Amino acid sequence: MGRERKAGLSILGSQWFLLLIVMVIIAAGTGAINPRFFRVNNIVNILEQVSTLGVVASGATILIISGNFDISVGASIGLSACVMAMLMKADTPYAWAIAAGIAVALLCSLFVGASSILFRAPSFIISLAAIGVFRGIALFLTQATLQTIYGKFEGLGSMRFFGVLPLIFVLSLAVYAAVGFLLRYSRLGRRVYAIGSNERAAYLAGIGINFNKMLFFAIDGLLVGIAATMLLSRVGAAQPATGSGIELQAIGAVVIGGTPMNGGKGRIVGTFFGVLLMGVISNALNMLQVSPYFQDVTFGMLIILSVAVSALSQKRGRAAA
Amino acid sequence: MPSEVVLAVSGLTKSYGAQRPALSEVSFELRAGEVLCVVGENGAGKSTLIKLLSGAVAPGAGSMTLRGATFSALVPRQAMALGVATIYQDVELIDSLTVADNIFLGAERPAAAGFMVDARAQEAEARRHLEQLHIDIDPSALVETLSSAQKQNLQIVKALHQEARVLIMDEPTSSLGYEEKRSLMALVKELKGRGIAVIYISHYLEEVFEIGDTILILKDGERVGTWRRDEVDVDFVIRSMVGRDASLFYRREKVALGAVRVEVKGMLWPGVVEDVSFEIHAGEIFGIGGLVGSGRTELAGLLYGMYPRAAGELCIDGRRVTPRNPQEAIRSGIRLITEDRRKFAMFGPRSVTENVAIVHNELSGGPVLALAEEARITDRLVAQLHIAVASTAQAIESLSGGNQQKAVIARWMIEDADLYLFDEPTKGVDVGAKEEIYKLMVEFARAGKCVLMISSDMPELLSMSDRIGVMRAGRMVKVVENAGIAEQFLIKEFIGIS
Repeated sequence: MGRERKAGLSILGSQWFLLLIVMVIIAAGTGAINPRFFRVNNIVNILEQVSTLGVVASGATILIISGNFDISVGASIGLSACVMAMLMKADTPYAWAIAAGIAVALLCSLFVGASSILFRAPSFIISLAAIGVFRGIALFLTQATLQTIYGKFEGLGSMRFFGVLPLIFVLSLAVYAAVGFLLRYSRLGRRVYAIGSNERAAYLAGIGINFNKMLFFAIDGLLVGIAATMLLSRVGAAQPATGSGIELQAIGAVVIGGTPMNGGKGRIVGTFFGVLLMGVISNALNMLQVSPYFQDVTFGMLIILSVAVSALSQKRGRAAA
Repeated sequence: MPSEVVLAVSGLTKSYGAQRPALSEVSFELRAGEVLCVVGENGAGKSTLIKLLSGAVAPGAGSMTLRGATFSALVPRQAMALGVATIYQDVELIDSLTVADNIFLGAERPAAAGFMVDARAQEAEARRHLEQLHIDIDPSALVETLSSAQKQNLQIVKALHQEARVLIMDEPTSSLGYEEKRSLMALVKELKGRGIAVIYISHYLEEVFEIGDTILILKDGERVGTWRRDEVDVDFVIRSMVGRDASLFYRREKVALGAVRVEVKGMLWPGVVEDVSFEIHAGEIFGIGGLVGSGRTELAGLLYGMYPRAAGELCIDGRRVTPRNPQEAIRSGIRLITEDRRKFAMFGPRSVTENVAIVHNELSGGPVLALAEEARITDRLVAQLHIAVASTAQAIESLSGGNQQKAVIARWMIEDADLYLFDEPTKGVDVGAKEEIYKLMVEFARAGKCVLMISSDMPELLSMSDRIGVMRAGRMVKVVENAGIAEQFLIKEFIGIS
């Protein structure tokens, strides 16, 4: 048992180490050029920015390990946030509005999962098509207008413990912990890994594939709904394009964190550091006044790079075995 | 007929990690216009030989001489360039293209416009090829409209177009009807007349004696010998294919049989498993033998609820339990150890513990894992089955084949069951692990369980089974008591010559 622990930690350590080193280098470089990077205000800002991404990436971790993808989460965040904002504008009690928003995200995710299972199509393709569906519905509902709720529902997004620790970051930590517990200590987590590493074998070991896949999508939808709520409270407005692009950042963070694209492996700690790295890079680019257009280029390249690293380490692993 | 030698094989050897090599020091010569038939039991090394010649895998030792050059290994492209073509069933063709397109694939006839393909010229030439061989296929037809026999013919035409001089055919008639078989035989004779050398692999000895010039017999990966067709007869070939050293037989402890516990009635999957019925007694190991493709694996799949059945039921202790899916099968006390552990059983990158505990967690665990119990159970089974691991946290795919198989079997030993279905339980497993798996099966039998064992390994079938059911073309044609029966007799039953 002792030996197991140690073997696990050393692999984990090296992964952390790599991400940490990269983060430290970026932070040091940025701080040297622009000292404002290390101000408390900016650090808090980074933490707030990575909170939403962290919650989305936690859900993506479960899906990717199980061999699935949902790249429509950005669009479903948009739809969910719009529904919440419209309800709040109409003075619906927050609790109801939030419940409705989370329900919308849940339904979106179940829609993707069910279509992928029913039509035996890769969830990647289904969710690609679903982006149009969700965004279209959001555009129709809002008639493409910005839904502002300034002055309302700011508590969640602006609350800070001791004046520095944002509530939403603490919430995202709770989500990491919950997903981590699920993956490591629950039977459902074992099914995530089993289905992701060999679906056929999981079926023959008596695991109901479709039911469990739907559960994974449901959990993902729930987390996406929570992320939408956090985002809305922080920004104070919603439009159909809200959240777009977050799906790629989330997948990128998961893959950078060491979860291979073909599933069956991966841990939540990796995702945590992947998300943090994403946040630091994004903030550093702002601090260095890099053109926002070029920021897109950076993130795109970063994701390609992380996939390349993942592919290479897979290959090395195979060669070693 | 001392015609030119087109292929010389010398000392070809291939091992896959198991102790006995899959192919060991096989040598032969093949002359232009010669039909060499390769025969042997399942697992005698025929497929391995094809893979080496076609460049799919590299040999461990030995050489192949083609067109005057000697190679220690080939890659597929090289084999093709040297004129060695392998005819597979239903693969290697592109369904959405025409017959002519497929023949010219990768070497299209350019039209005047350079980047265009001259479809007309291609079709004309394809038609000439087809007519020369008396094959009645329209060159402009789409491949998806062809029957499997026509596709096979097309592959042969394509190979000839690519100037193949050696054609390898692996069980080419196994899915053909009578007429199609006849025309394939005629085609092979035609090829022979054109100086093409053919390596023909078949279980069907009547075909072998019809078209073979020479017969190469393999047994347990070794060459028994090569004979001219007129030197030998069917009985001699069968005798040479079987019959082996007594050391390959495991001496199992006999267990007294009890009452009938498992009844299988009229299992039906049209075209695959045809109305199969049998019984298994308490404490019995019921062996199922037959050729690969005779429906044995599919029968086990039906009993496990893996495939939908058209009819039939399964009773255990008089209770109807016919499962609709593996989940139900497991809950009814049925266990399946699959033939291909990588594909159907292993969670490769996951730990030994996770692989062992998976069924236990599903059957008796709660939503939150009992990690300490899981570790205890895994440690116990690892010790009991002598699974060699550095740590139970090790990924199962990093274990050796035998240890992987034992770890996979271990998952079925935590909860009690009534019926164990073993499909090729010792495939790719070294001798030591083999014995332990045998002991385990006997232990199940001694505890009054029912064991069904599908095996292509003759010594295994004969040394482990109480009775042997012979399957042929989806039917269980015979059930025999395993007392003093000869391998020769079984092989004849498998193939269907009396």
